[in-house]
Amino acid sequence: MSHLHIPDGVLPGWLVMAGWILTALILAFSIYRTRSTELKRKVPLIGIISALMIVCMTIPIVPIAYHINLSVIAGIILGPAVAFISIFIVDLIIAMFGHGGITVVGLNTVVVGAEAFIGFYLFQLFLAIIGRDSIMWSSGLAAVIALIISTSILVGVVYLSRIDPEIVIGIEGGHPTEVANEANIPSQLTKGINIKSFAKTILILLGIGWLLEGIITAFVIKYVSRVRPDLILPQRA
Amino acid sequence: MDVAIIDYYANHGTSFLHKAKALWKVIFTGLVIASIILTNEFYMLLGIYITLVTIAVWTRLPISRIITIAAYPAIFALIFAFAMWNGSWLKAGVIILKALTAALTMVLLIVTTPYPDVFNVLRPFLPRVVAEGLFVTYRSVFILLELTDELIKGLKVRGGLTHRKHIRNIRNFSSGIGLLLVKGFDYSEKFYGMMNVRGYGGRITTQGTKTSINRNDVLAIALGLLIFAITISTVIEKRFLEFGVYILACSAIALVISSIYQRFQN
Repeated sequence: MSHLHIPDGVLPGWLVMAGWILTALILAFSIYRTRSTELKRKVPLIGIISALMIVCMTIPIVPIAYHINLSVIAGIILGPAVAFISIFIVDLIIAMFGHGGITVVGLNTVVVGAEAFIGFYLFQLFLAIIGRDSIMWSSGLAAVIALIISTSILVGVVYLSRIDPEIVIGIEGGHPTEVANEANIPSQLTKGINIKSFAKTILILLGIGWLLEGIITAFVIKYVSRVRPDLILPQRA
Repeated sequence: MDVAIIDYYANHGTSFLHKAKALWKVIFTGLVIASIILTNEFYMLLGIYITLVTIAVWTRLPISRIITIAAYPAIFALIFAFAMWNGSWLKAGVIILKALTAALTMVLLIVTTPYPDVFNVLRPFLPRVVAEGLFVTYRSVFILLELTDELIKGLKVRGGLTHRKHIRNIRNFSSGIGLLLVKGFDYSEKFYGMMNVRGYGGRITTQGTKTSINRNDVLAIALGLLIFAITISTVIEKRFLEFGVYILACSAIALVISSIYQRFQN
């Protein structure tokens, strides 16, 4: 779970907009990439994988505030491009349940999409290095590493939210922080965030979750590879 | 997950919000979300939250259930508030209230509007594959929920989920997800075949969005505009924040009166 469960109006507007723009660009590229592979045939598959992700995402493991994503499984089965489309759909639907703000759907799609992308390529790499007999280890390891990276992106996003774009681009006149505060009220909320404390909390809680999701991914992929190997082994990027 | 219950509420309600058209309810939602984004004042957010609870009472749906569904993001907002803790309860309260209020706004939309109607409103702004993916996902969620129910019953009956055998439980649960995936994939193949037989050529046709206005739509829009106008006035003119307590009191009184009225109606 490297989801940004951040409410609407907490992150600064420029970061939220950047997330949407990035998502739109990747989405456009993904649709362009998959156009040749008969996208209309993929729609029912996207629907099933997205529905499975939604069902799993909305079961919280309460003591550690974690939920499994299945994004690496989506990446392995659908390929990174189609998985990105699927993840956008999932994020949009679960935002309607208030599961993370509706305005952070863009950023969420980028973070979870990165998980699917990294997971897919790591899985292919491990398969090539360790061999096809170790499909369980390859998928489990790929999931854990993808989750660590995507969680780092999440912490990076929260860290970025503390930086005023005016400071970054060097606007003159007046104290930059004051200018930013007046212009961008929501960013005041994230000013006080202790990034070390945030990172510690997230890493402690999610560490157990990574392991759990890695194990689940490994068993799911092992099962699917036995029953329907054609879903996993061919190159599906 | 309460997808089935939410779908039932959306399709069987008779309140003004159920009767209002999806387009105007989406605009209402947009106005309230914009208000939540714009204000960082605890009392304003609490006022908006109480107003939304009042509207939820007007929908004549089980209020405690709706509040519970919308309270889910509070778990994660607590983590965020904890990470930002600087000794100020108000600041932590703002974070949690933002999450609760935004979630309640979205939940109010989906418990009074069938999902396909909401997707129809969003359709013009989304790529075709995403718009169609939304419809198919919505349909697939119900199929998977049924399959999940059968699967969990099957696992329990055969001793696949037992106390204190965590590793075995995880392995069986994961195999269950794998089974759902394979069954779902087979289903998607059949579904694609059926869609093809019925003339699917890469586009799902819908009824389109109705834009005409009736009194239920006007009421929904008026409520959204009222919340937005009060919020924006306190953002532009800070002096109006002095009236924050009165706004809170008004919304609380409206909630009490609405609750009593609904109780007598029932």
